[in-house]
Amino acid sequence: MNLPGERTHERLRNFPPVESWDHHVEYDAKAHPRKVPHEYMLVPTTCFNCESACGLLAYVDKADLTIKRLEGNPAHPGSRGRNCAKGPATINQVNDPERILHPLRRVGDRGSGHWEQVSWDDALDDIAARIRAAIVEDRRDEVIYHVGRPGEDGFAERFLLAWGVDGHNSHTNICSAGARLGYSLWGGYDRPSPDYANAKVILLISSHLEAGHYFNPHAQRIMEGKVSGGAKVIVLDPRLSNTASHADLWIAPWPGSEAAILLSVASYLLRTDQVDRAFLRRWVNWSTYLEHRHPDLPADDFDAFLAALTEDYSQYTFSFAAQEAQVPEEQIAELARIVATAGSALSAHVWRAATAGNLGGWQVSRALFFLNVLTGSVGTKGGTSPNGWDKIIAHGPNVPEGHDLWNELLWPQEFPMSTNEMSILLPHLLQDGRGKLAMYFSRVYNPVWTNPDGFSWLEALTNESLVECHVALTPTWSETATFADYVLPMGHSTERHDTQSYEQYAGKWLGFRQPVTRVALEKMGRAVSDSRESNPGEVWEENEFWFELSWRIDPDGSLGIRKYFESPYRPGEKITVDEYYRWVFENSVPGLPKAAADQGLTPLEYMRKYGVFEVAKDSYRLDERPLTPAEVEGTTPDSRGVLRKPVTLDSTPPLVGEAGSVGVVHADGTKTAGWLTPSRKLELFSDTMVDFGWEEYAAPGYIESHVSHRAIDQGNDEMVLMPTFRLPTLIHTRSGNAKYLNEISNTHPLWMNSLDARRFGLATGDLVRVNTEIGYFVARVWSTESIRPGVLGLSHHMGRWRTSENAGSRWAMGLVDLSNDGDGVWRLRYKEGVKPFKSDDPDSERIHWDDPGVHQNLTFAVHPDPLSGMHCWHQKVRIEKARSEDQYGDVVVDTKRSREVYRAWMDNTRPGPSRSGLRRPEFMMRPVKPKRRAFFADGPGAGVGVEE
Amino acid sequence: MRYGFAIDQRTCIGCHACTVACKTEHEVPVGQFRTWVKYVDSGEFPDTTRSFGVMRCNHCTDAPCVKICPTQALFKRDDGIVDFDNERCIGCKSCMQACPYDAIYIDEDTHTAAKCNMCAHRVDNDLEPACVVVCPTHSIWVGDLDDPTSGIATLVSTQETAVRSPEQNTGPNVFYLGADRAVLDPLAAPVDDTYIWAKPDAQRLETAGDLPGDPTTKARTTLNTAHPRPWGWKVVTYLWTKGIGAGAMMLAGLAYLLGIDLGVVGDYVAPTLGIFGAATTGGLLVWDLKRPERFLYIFLKSNWTSWLVLGAYVLTVFTGGSLLWLVAAAFDVGWLSTVLAWLAIPAGALMAGYTAFLFGQAEGRDLWQSPLLFWHLVVQAVMVGSGALAVAGLLAGLSDEAWTLVAATFAIATVLHLLMLAVEYTGKHAGRQATVAAHIITSGRYSRLFWLGAIVPASVAAVLGAVAWASDVSATVVLLGLAGLLVQPALIAYESVFVRAGQDVPLS
Repeated sequence: MNLPGERTHERLRNFPPVESWDHHVEYDAKAHPRKVPHEYMLVPTTCFNCESACGLLAYVDKADLTIKRLEGNPAHPGSRGRNCAKGPATINQVNDPERILHPLRRVGDRGSGHWEQVSWDDALDDIAARIRAAIVEDRRDEVIYHVGRPGEDGFAERFLLAWGVDGHNSHTNICSAGARLGYSLWGGYDRPSPDYANAKVILLISSHLEAGHYFNPHAQRIMEGKVSGGAKVIVLDPRLSNTASHADLWIAPWPGSEAAILLSVASYLLRTDQVDRAFLRRWVNWSTYLEHRHPDLPADDFDAFLAALTEDYSQYTFSFAAQEAQVPEEQIAELARIVATAGSALSAHVWRAATAGNLGGWQVSRALFFLNVLTGSVGTKGGTSPNGWDKIIAHGPNVPEGHDLWNELLWPQEFPMSTNEMSILLPHLLQDGRGKLAMYFSRVYNPVWTNPDGFSWLEALTNESLVECHVALTPTWSETATFADYVLPMGHSTERHDTQSYEQYAGKWLGFRQPVTRVALEKMGRAVSDSRESNPGEVWEENEFWFELSWRIDPDGSLGIRKYFESPYRPGEKITVDEYYRWVFENSVPGLPKAAADQGLTPLEYMRKYGVFEVAKDSYRLDERPLTPAEVEGTTPDSRGVLRKPVTLDSTPPLVGEAGSVGVVHADGTKTAGWLTPSRKLELFSDTMVDFGWEEYAAPGYIESHVSHRAIDQGNDEMVLMPTFRLPTLIHTRSGNAKYLNEISNTHPLWMNSLDARRFGLATGDLVRVNTEIGYFVARVWSTESIRPGVLGLSHHMGRWRTSENAGSRWAMGLVDLSNDGDGVWRLRYKEGVKPFKSDDPDSERIHWDDPGVHQNLTFAVHPDPLSGMHCWHQKVRIEKARSEDQYGDVVVDTKRSREVYRAWMDNTRPGPSRSGLRRPEFMMRPVKPKRRAFFADGPGAGVGVEE
Repeated sequence: MRYGFAIDQRTCIGCHACTVACKTEHEVPVGQFRTWVKYVDSGEFPDTTRSFGVMRCNHCTDAPCVKICPTQALFKRDDGIVDFDNERCIGCKSCMQACPYDAIYIDEDTHTAAKCNMCAHRVDNDLEPACVVVCPTHSIWVGDLDDPTSGIATLVSTQETAVRSPEQNTGPNVFYLGADRAVLDPLAAPVDDTYIWAKPDAQRLETAGDLPGDPTTKARTTLNTAHPRPWGWKVVTYLWTKGIGAGAMMLAGLAYLLGIDLGVVGDYVAPTLGIFGAATTGGLLVWDLKRPERFLYIFLKSNWTSWLVLGAYVLTVFTGGSLLWLVAAAFDVGWLSTVLAWLAIPAGALMAGYTAFLFGQAEGRDLWQSPLLFWHLVVQAVMVGSGALAVAGLLAGLSDEAWTLVAATFAIATVLHLLMLAVEYTGKHAGRQATVAAHIITSGRYSRLFWLGAIVPASVAAVLGAVAWASDVSATVVLLGLAGLLVQPALIAYESVFVRAGQDVPLS
C-alpha cells in the first residue's frame, strides 16, 4: 500500500514500511557509531498542539514501553508525514517533569495555590452529584463545558446532548467568530477550504505559513502551489510575518482596512468585466439582491443585475482603499491585477487576523469570499471550497436528539447573529446577575490568561456564589487551572482517544488519536481496560472520563442519560472506548469497512494501524452534486426553489443548515445540493440580515474599524496594538512546557516601526507603558522595519505567570505578586522571571532564558462585535515612556472600567428576537443545536411571517 | 559516494521543525543545536524582507575537523558523512576551531564534541535524517551528490546553488538554493540589539559593533544561536608558559654553543623553566579538556595529522630534553650538554611554534592562519624566555658576557615581536574574517588592552632592553630585569586579544 506521505529518494525512505511498524528495529542514536538495536512499536496518533491535527507516529520502545520520540504519520493525507516544530516537541510535553500526574483538589481559598491529591472516585462522585442536582432541579443552564482546543469532533456534543444541557461554550469568539460570520453569510458553511496546491493566485490575510489553521498542511500546499504551479502569493498583514516574507506582493495595510481593499478589487473585477458570469448567474442569489436594492429593475435580468452591482460597488475605488489602508494606491492596483489573473483558481484565506482584530472584521472574510465568487473560484480546482465538503464528523452509536433549551449565558439575546457562544462575556453576564454556574468545566482552555479582561474572569472564578464548582481538565498547568476546585489531568496526544477531521485540501479524512502505550501493550497481548493503566501517573483520557461521569450522574438510568453510554454490543453494560470507536468506524465512516476488509482488518484494527482514513479526494464543485431520488422524495420547492421536506418544531436542524432543506432546483430544472444558506445559493444579499435588523449590511460592505486610522490620534501618542500574532514555534499557552520550543522563542518584544520609535525617543530595549482603556502594561520595545508605522505588534503566547511555587510551569511562567486594592484595581508584578530549576530532567537547569513576557490580554476590555460577537482584539493604545516606578511586565487594570467598556459595546447591539421571532438564524452553525422550538424566543408563531 | 544536503531556501518557511526533530532524535541538551534556522531581516519599511537559512555541518569533502581531531573521534565515512564517536572524544574543542561553520558543540551531557552526523544511524537503516522527514515543505534534500541520477544531484546541477564560506576550501556538501547572501555570509548581517523572539548571546552582541554590515540593505540577523568561544584563558596562559620554557632553553642552548657560561641560570634555571613551561602547558591543556580523564587517548588513539597529537609529542620530548639538561648539568656530562645544546634550539622553536601549525589547522579562525605565526611564536618565546632569564640573572648573577647575550637576545626578540605585530596588523589580511578580527584588536573592543596592555609595555621593554644592551650592561641589569618582567604580562595581554578576537568573528 502506498501511503500519501511516503517518499523514497534512491535508497533512503522517509519512514519504515508500514509492514514493519509492529517490530521496527532501529539503532540507538546516542550509542552510534556502535550499533545498538532497539525494537519499537510504531503507533500512529494525532498531534494535539494546534488545530491542524497532523498525524504523528509514536516510537514506543518495546523494552520499557517508553515513547522514544514522535515523527509524522506518512499515512495521513493531510499532513503527509510532515510536521511543524510542535509535532516532535510533543515528547517534551509527555516527559515534562512539571506535568500534573494526579487529580488535585484545592485546599483553602480558590486560587490560594494549595492542593491535595484526590482519588478519581471522590472527584467523580462530587462532580456527578453536582451535575445530577442541576439536571434534576432543572438548573440545566448551570452546567457549562468551556472548551479551548477541541481536538475532536462530536464527542463533547454527545455528552452535552445526552445530559440535556445547552452547555457548550467554545473559545471561538476570541478566535474566528469574525471570519465565520463572513463565510456563513455567503454559503452557510463557516470555514473556507482553499485548494492551494492547484491555485494560480493565493491570497492570504493571515500568516498561514507559520501559524493559522492549518499551518503545516497548508504551508506544504501553499509552497507546492507557488513552486510547482507558479502561483502568485499575496499577503495582507501589517507585520512582516514569515508568510509575508514569501509573498510576491506584501501589503501592510492599516488594520481594519482590509475589506475596503478587497472591495476595491471586487469593484475592479466588475468594472473591467473580469467576472465569471455563468457562475454568478447560476449560484448567486442575485434576484434577491435586485429585489431589495433595485426594486425598480426587473428581478430576472442578470445583465441589469451586473450593471447595478458594478455601479453599487464603484464607490470602492483604489484611491478610497489606499486612503483607508494608508498604503500606495499602486499596491492595491497591483493586487487587483494579480487577482484578475487567477481565473477560477483563486485560493483565498482569512481566519483570524483582520477578522479577529477589528469591529466589523467579519466583512473582511465576506469581502474576500466575494472575490472567489466573482472569479468563479468557488469549489473549483485551485479555488476555495467550503469546509463542509472536506470534513467528516463521525458520530457514535445512538446519537441523542436535540434539547429544547436556550442558554442565555452563552447565547444572550443581544447577539442573535454571533457565530458562536459569547464566551468572552461570561464573567460580565454572571456579574450582571443573569445566572450562576453549578459546574464550570474549563477544558484545555485558559480564559484567565487567553481571554481579554482576565481580571474580570478572576473575579468571577473566585466568587463561589457565581461559580460553585470549577473543574479544570488539562494536561498542563495554566493560569485558569490555578483558580479551579479540581484539576483533573487529561492526556496529551499520545495518551487519549479522539477522532477529528479538518479541511486541508480538496479531500476528506478522518484522523484517530490514540493512547499509544496502551495500543502497544494491547498489540503485545496485554489487555488494558482503562487508559489510566498505561498513562503516566493517574493521567486519564476524556472519553472514558465522560463515560464514567455520565454513568455516575445517572447510575440507574432513570434520567435517560445512561442509555447513551451503554455498549451497542453488550446491552445495558457500560460502553468501552474500544466499543465506541469500533461502532464509529463500522458505521459512520463511508468506505472504511471495505478498505479495512481489503486488508483483512476490522475497521477498528485499520484505524489503530494507520491512525487515519481518507474518505474522499478531489472533491470539487459539490454544490453541483445532483440530488438523489431519496433526497428529492417528499420535498416541495419553496418560492426560491429550495427543496424542503416537512419539519415540525421538534425537528432538530443539522449542525449547519435548516431542518428539512435538502437542495435547490435551478432555472434549468436541475436539482443539486447547493449551499446551506436559506436560499441554498451563495447569498450576495442576506435576507437573514434584514430579518435581524441589519439591512444596511445585507450585502458585502466595509465597516470602519474601531482602530481605523481616523480613530487613532497619532498626535496624542496613540497607536494601534496588534496583540494577536503567533509564532511558528508556540501554541497559545499550551506549549510552555515544551523545552525545545521555549529555547527557540523566549522573548516578548513590542514591535515598533523605527520611525515611531524615533518619534517617541525610544530605542530597542527601552521600557514603555502601553495604556489601554482599562489600564496599562509595561513592555520592551523592538525598533524594527518589520511592521508598518502607526501599528504595534506584541505576540500572543508570552506573559505567563504563577502565583505560587505549588502550581505552574517553571519552564515558562514567572512568579508574580497579584494584588487588588479592594476597589477593582488589580496589579500584577513579576517577582521572578523564568530561571533554571532542579528536576529529573537535567535540561531544566540549563534554562538560559529569563523573560516570562508581558500579559497584555489582562489590559484589554471586552469588545464584542455586535454582529459576529467576535472579540475585536486590536487596541487603541497610548504610548508613554515607562515611569520610574514601572517594572518590565507590570500590569495594572481597573475592572470598574472593564464594566463600563463592556456596557458601551453592549449598547451597540441590536438584540433579538428577529422580526420573524427567532433567537438566531436556524441555518447558522451552532454547537449542540437545539430543536427548532428553542429558536423561537417567545414561543413559535410570536414573530412575523413564521412558517409552520 | 558523497552524501550531502541541498536546502531550498525558496520554500523554507523558517518553522524550526528541522531543529526540533533533530533535537528529539538525538536528545540534544537545551541550548545546543545540531541544526538551526537563522533569520535575517533586510531593508527599510515597506521594502523589508526576511530570509531564512538552515545552518548545520557541511560534511566537507576536506573536513578540517577530521584533520585536527587528535583522537580520530571525528571521521569521514566512505559515504561522505562526517561522523563522530563520542567514546573517543577527549573534549579538546579543537574541532570547534577547525570548523568554519559553527557546526560543532560540546554536548553538555557527555562533555564530548557533537554535531550533525546526517543521522548516520538512520542512514545505515536506509532512512532519511530526521530533519528531512519532518520538513513541511520538503525543503531539505539528502542524497549522493556523486550519483548524477540522484534527486539531490539533479537539483544541485540544474539550479543555482551557493555554499557557506567557499573561501575556506573545505569542499562543503550542503548546497543552498535561493539563499540570501546575507544569510550565508556570517559577516553580512550583524545582530541589531535583539532577535525577533529570543535574546542574542553576549558575544554576538558585543561583536556586532565591529562588523562592517551592509550599508545598502542594512541586513541584520534577527535569529541565530549562540557559539561562545571554545578556548579561553587556559589557552592564552599556555601560549605564555610554553614561550617562557622554550625561549629559556633556546637561549641556554645558544649560550652553550657560543661558549658563554650562563652559570646557574643556564644550568638550572633555564631547564627548570623549560620543564615548568612544558608541564604547565600540558597541565593547562589537560585541564581545558572536557574529558580530562581521557587525556591519554592523545597517545593511545593518535590521529597523526593532528597538530594536537604532534604537539603533545613535542611537549613530551621537550620535557625529557629539559630533564636531561638538568641531569647533564648536575653530573657535568659534557657530551650530553653539547648534544642537548644543539637540540635545544630546534626543539625550543618547535615547542614554541608548533601551536602555529595547530592554529593553522583551526580553519575556522582566519586570524590564526597567518604564515608569520610560527616565527612570531618563536620570537615571542625568545622574548619572554630571555626576559625570564634576565630576571633570574638579577638574583643568581651573570657574567658581563652573559648579560650582553641576554640583553641582545631580549632586545632583538622584543623589537622583532613589535615589527611582526606591525606587519600583522598594518598589512592586508588574507580574508574578510581575518580583517574583521584584526580590526577588533586594533580599533575594536580589544583595542585598549592591545595598545595599553600589549604594545606600550612591549615597546618600553624594547627600549629598556636596547638601552641595556647598548650601554654597560652590568650597570643597567636592573633595567633589563624590569624589561624582562614587563614583557610577561604584555605577551599575556597580546595572546589574550589574539586568542579571543580570532574566535569572536561569527561563523554563522
